[in-house]
Amino acid sequence: MSNWYPKKGRVIFHIDMNCFYASVGMAYNPKLKGKPLAIAGNPEERKGIVVTSSYEAREKGVKTTMPVWQARKLCPSLIIMHPNFDRYRTASAEMFKMLTDITPIIQPVSIDEGYIDITECKHLGNPIEIAQNLQNRILKELDLPCSIGIAPNKFLAKMASDMKKPLGMTVLRKRDLPYKLWPLPIEKMYGVGKKTAEKLQAIDITTIGKLAHANVYQLRQILGINGERLKNRANGIDHRIVDPEAVNEFKSIGSSQTLPEDTTNEADIRQLLHLLAENVERRLKRKQAAGRNVQIMIKYYDHKTITRSRKLPYYIDKKADILMIAKELFIQHWNSEPIRLLGITVQEVEEKQYIAQQLDIFTYEKEAEKEKLYNVIDRLSQKYGKNPFKQMHGTNIDDQPHTSFQKDFLNDYKQ
Amino acid sequence: MKFIIQRDKLIASVQDVMKAISTRTAIPILTGMKIEAKDHGIKLTGSDSDISIESYIPAESDGMVHVEEIEEGSIVLQARYFPDIVRKLPEKTVEIEADSNLKVTIRSGKAEFNLNGQDAEEYPQLPKLQTDDSFELQTDLLKNLIKQTVFAISTMETRPILTGVNLKLEGKQLKFTATDSHRLASREIPVKEANIEFSSIVVPGKSLNELYKILDDTDEPIEISVTNNQILFRTKHLYFLSRLLDGTYPETSRLIPDQSKTVLYVNTKDLLNTIDRASLLAKEDRNNVVRLTTKDGQTVEITSNSPEVGRATEEISAKSIEGEELKISFSSKYMLDALKAIEYDEVKIEFTGAMRPFIIRPVNNDSILQLILPVRTY
Repeated sequence: MSNWYPKKGRVIFHIDMNCFYASVGMAYNPKLKGKPLAIAGNPEERKGIVVTSSYEAREKGVKTTMPVWQARKLCPSLIIMHPNFDRYRTASAEMFKMLTDITPIIQPVSIDEGYIDITECKHLGNPIEIAQNLQNRILKELDLPCSIGIAPNKFLAKMASDMKKPLGMTVLRKRDLPYKLWPLPIEKMYGVGKKTAEKLQAIDITTIGKLAHANVYQLRQILGINGERLKNRANGIDHRIVDPEAVNEFKSIGSSQTLPEDTTNEADIRQLLHLLAENVERRLKRKQAAGRNVQIMIKYYDHKTITRSRKLPYYIDKKADILMIAKELFIQHWNSEPIRLLGITVQEVEEKQYIAQQLDIFTYEKEAEKEKLYNVIDRLSQKYGKNPFKQMHGTNIDDQPHTSFQKDFLNDYKQ
Repeated sequence: MKFIIQRDKLIASVQDVMKAISTRTAIPILTGMKIEAKDHGIKLTGSDSDISIESYIPAESDGMVHVEEIEEGSIVLQARYFPDIVRKLPEKTVEIEADSNLKVTIRSGKAEFNLNGQDAEEYPQLPKLQTDDSFELQTDLLKNLIKQTVFAISTMETRPILTGVNLKLEGKQLKFTATDSHRLASREIPVKEANIEFSSIVVPGKSLNELYKILDDTDEPIEISVTNNQILFRTKHLYFLSRLLDGTYPETSRLIPDQSKTVLYVNTKDLLNTIDRASLLAKEDRNNVVRLTTKDGQTVEITSNSPEVGRATEEISAKSIEGEELKISFSSKYMLDALKAIEYDEVKIEFTGAMRPFIIRPVNNDSILQLILPVRTY
């Protein structure tokens, strides 16, 4: 059995849920199965776009980020649903829990995909069996299809899971590269975006195979350090480990929203800024974190986008503080043209347990009032171990974040 | 204008005056240095309109001749080139000559520089202060006052008034106070004769830092005059004028706790060295936090902890610890600054709780006070 495992090196799975939002919708309402289904944000509003769609809809040409009206035109029988984030959250948590039954070495990447390292799982069978069992279990218990890539590293596992959908299972070993990976067009490569693909195509690197054999110096000239990294990946080299802690390294938390219509109306703008600051506050609170850099994004009617940020000498996590800085930045940088979208992001975010707050001579009294409480907590903590009280962070059922939604979920399966 | 001057005298004066000259100024001619030759000596002037400095080199002092062959006149020279030229000239004396076309010739030995000057008439007149309202102080004492307080000013422009040092002269007591709102430093000294009183003037920290660099460590007197928007420091050969900051300095005396719960007596250097060591593992981007814990009647533990780096622990014996047990976290940087400013062997540190400001003073001396706000760890 163990000859399935390499003597040196690792065995890594990439699990990718197929059309996750649409599949969850179908699992809750089996009547939708086999029908073209799209999940769209705010379908009734002007900016409603397709977030994801079922394979049946995709066959008709419906694509993610496509405006709803356009999708409807391509596929008149399209069923459109609102996203239901609570359901996705639950399904995702269940799925990740199944992964923990296999190994603790799990790195969630987003709500519907993650890596696991099964090198030390020989007792559970060979990799194919483990993958097959996992896929069956997710399908049987959650009614959700997924594709699994099996490879010696993360990059190849990711590429492999993408090769067969839905319910695919693909093994991609280094010796398979010449015929499985290299013929693929360059833009199919994970890590190669539109811009990078254009640059590579310009020097006649049109397939992953051509990248694998490209000249390092030339790559470095057009893509910098990333060029060499991509070439290595194309040759099946990727030393990144499956890191369960990677999820915790959030550096920024933000929220953005499109206005119902392009506007210069300051009342509307102010209202949106309030809402965004509130969203950011809520997310910071959920992560027990604070940040010390505030960035705003303004997207104008003509899609011209600017971001402006300010670094602060202290950490903030309250709506009022976030809003104050965001407003200042906005007033300073808005050119008075109609705005399409606004965003607020708090950057340089740290978990509060690692932050020390320097008290201020003019305001410390407020903090000092809580001192007695902290003392009691401290004493009890010493007696009973880790802080037996946790600050009440209002958990709210309507708590439906929007943009960084996917990342917000990554820790949920642990709870 | 023409004169021959001792180069070392000229270098020293040029260096002092340069402290006031900025390359970025609203008035272009202020990027230059004004040179005035009078029978009795040479005067150099520099200004960025916040600070103005005049340095005077007498033709003769204590029987030594510094300047010869003086033909009166004045010129403004580009400050970008003049100091380097003077510094690198080959001989001990320098001849400077300006003709009626504002062409300046600088000669030393066989080296000769021709520079374009500007008309001194175009250089703004420095405001002359009334010197009636003034008091005197020993120069080295003034330097001490600056040194013990100015480090605590704020470097942030969010509260501009805190970028200055608050000066108070009341009942023949002169007091300097500086705070960035996270720590506060103050120093008080008696003044012999003062015919003025002022309660709340604020001198930009930058001005005091420059003044500190220029002044010699001497017990010779320095005269200080104050108007409602300027302060003048004057010694025999130096005239240092600074703008004052607008606005009201926050009332700080009520912020200083007058009772304490834990009092620690400790050797200044021991504590300073211990905290310095512990701070090696305290990270700057996390407020340089170190923690102080009282262990028993004699011992204090200093620790620092960075999750990714490691941990430092050191015990230090105190002369004595009075009052309640205490565990408090604070910025090692603020503590080191404060301890360095106290030039006494023994310090007394008074705490009133882990979330309240604490005070560091020399034992039996209330004229120096350093106050630090602790850090709250979550």
